Amino acid sequence: MLVFTLRRLSLFIFTMLLLTLLSFSLNFLFPGETIINLTGAINATPSQLIELNDAYQTHRNIFWQYITYLSHIINGDLGLSMASQSDISTEIVTLLPATIELSLVALFIAMFIGIPLGFLAAIKHNKFTDNLILSLSMLGYSIPVFWLGLLAILTFSISLGWFPSAGQISLLFEIKSVTGIQFIDILLSDSPYKWQAFIDATAHIILPACVIAVAPATIFIRLARTSMIEVLETSYIRAASAKGLTFQQIIFRHAIRNSLIKIIRHVGLQFANLVTIAMVTEVIFSWPGIGRWLIESIYQRDYTAIESGLLVLSCFIFIVHILTDFIYAALNPLARGNKYGAR
Amino acid sequence: MARDKIYLEEIFPSPFMQLWLIFRKTPVAMLGFSCFLFLIVLAIFGPLLAPHSPVEGQLDMLLLPPAWHIDGNVSYLLGTDELGRDMLSRLMYGTSLTFGLSFIVVIISLVIGVIIGSLSALTSGLKSSFLNHFLDVILSIPSLLLAIIIVAILGPSIGNTVWAVVLVLIPQFIHITRYAVKEESRKDYVLASRLDGASPFRILYYSIFPNITDRIMGQATLAQSAAILDIATLGFLGLGAQVPLPEWGATLANGLDLFYIAPWTVYLPGLAILFAVVATNLVGEGIRHALKVRKER
Repeated sequence: MLVFTLRRLSLFIFTMLLLTLLSFSLNFLFPGETIINLTGAINATPSQLIELNDAYQTHRNIFWQYITYLSHIINGDLGLSMASQSDISTEIVTLLPATIELSLVALFIAMFIGIPLGFLAAIKHNKFTDNLILSLSMLGYSIPVFWLGLLAILTFSISLGWFPSAGQISLLFEIKSVTGIQFIDILLSDSPYKWQAFIDATAHIILPACVIAVAPATIFIRLARTSMIEVLETSYIRAASAKGLTFQQIIFRHAIRNSLIKIIRHVGLQFANLVTIAMVTEVIFSWPGIGRWLIESIYQRDYTAIESGLLVLSCFIFIVHILTDFIYAALNPLARGNKYGAR
Repeated sequence: MARDKIYLEEIFPSPFMQLWLIFRKTPVAMLGFSCFLFLIVLAIFGPLLAPHSPVEGQLDMLLLPPAWHIDGNVSYLLGTDELGRDMLSRLMYGTSLTFGLSFIVVIISLVIGVIIGSLSALTSGLKSSFLNHFLDVILSIPSLLLAIIIVAILGPSIGNTVWAVVLVLIPQFIHITRYAVKEESRKDYVLASRLDGASPFRILYYSIFPNITDRIMGQATLAQSAAILDIATLGFLGLGAQVPLPEWGATLANGLDLFYIAPWTVYLPGLAILFAVVATNLVGEGIRHALKVRKER
């Protein structure tokens, strides 16, 4: 496990270096002056500009500029937003939790719907149920997410009026931001209308989370189906049925556990996909998250915000990726020996 | 006793032909394939077949519902939008933008990706490990996010969208080619031709490539469905095709304000995207199924 941890750590550091290098080089690629792209200080006076040039050491060679850039990032200084002239790191700290909340809820919905359906399809392999589930999953990952979101708003918020169509919570409720994650904040607050606020927040999250969950759920169906089919063909399942265990006992005691492990490995990979879908969905549902903020900063040509947004989002995805790798390795001893990139 | 064949000659079809023979036997895959061909034909000849201009509107024909509706007009089969532009013509032109461009995108990134991938499969050691890590980093960034960043650098337009999606798709092709070439070169027939004294490039070209084309094709269909969705999403977000262009995603975004009055301006482009992606995915499923069947033989 130690070797495994070290390998993951080295991969993590390498990736972070590459990502920061990428966002650093974006400053040169974006139109406009590098120092202004870097800091976002569009209204800076000449004397302020000299100070900024000094702070980012632009007179030294590119290597030292990169090192200073890194030290700025480590200190949490991502510059100012060109559009609003507010500090980007504080903006991100307030926006990122909303995205995390939305994508985690969507991930859980996708897993709770996708995995059992996949198992069901595998158990009924090559029968009607299997074909039905497979065709549904094919349809699910072919639907463009923005269209699905619009249809969902039209049916569930406008025609049926079951769920609100936009935002994170009704403006009537004043919830103080402590952790940034809405549900925890509501539970922590001492407002007398705590439960109403909680129900309202739940109603707001259901629609966008379900829209995001559709595509990952279909992939979980496929993963669960293939891994269950593989497990059902192994010799220990045959041994279990030779011992006289009933089919249910075999499925619940042996098959599900062993096939779940294989699925967990792919959760991290799916997460990147899910965050992209979440970005588009945030725009449609006016969810106050980082995806909508990033797309709006593209409209406004806010290069400093684009660059920092990219850095933060991809770091977040990569951290989730590595976390799932750890969970997988902790659950499955066989995986720890596998060297990274060995084959 | 009738004998069809006088000479007992056995025919060994090439790997690609074997795949086609299996593929042909799956009706669903063939259905997807014919839809795919239909879309290609429409992408090439759509502009010639379209009954009206996609950008010029008829001001006396605003927001006409589709022809089956009671207020519909049969010469505007799928209705018109808020500027009186014929939806059917817009969708037909849109086929060559969304579907046709995604096809071109996939071919460009396939060629570049396969070249880099097979060259990198010939290297080993530190260089190879570096490339592997580098690809992992690129693949861990969501494709749409990367495309959005590239568009942000280049500025929004349909041409820049194409380059962005090409760049985004290349790493996938490098990855799969590298993996497939490495796997094949461990096999005995490659060893045999190496013992015959063939150079690495000769082995790559004559021995390995014919055996990995099918796998790359499978990846290409996946890439194509991703490309359609990416181009349409960028168009929807206003970062891809600009206003008068009848790209499907942009047409859909255009109809957004009139969603409640004229829902067909949103339903139809969405259905077109869905149709194109489903057709592509059916072909991809067919190829993967055929690969599996061939492997089991």
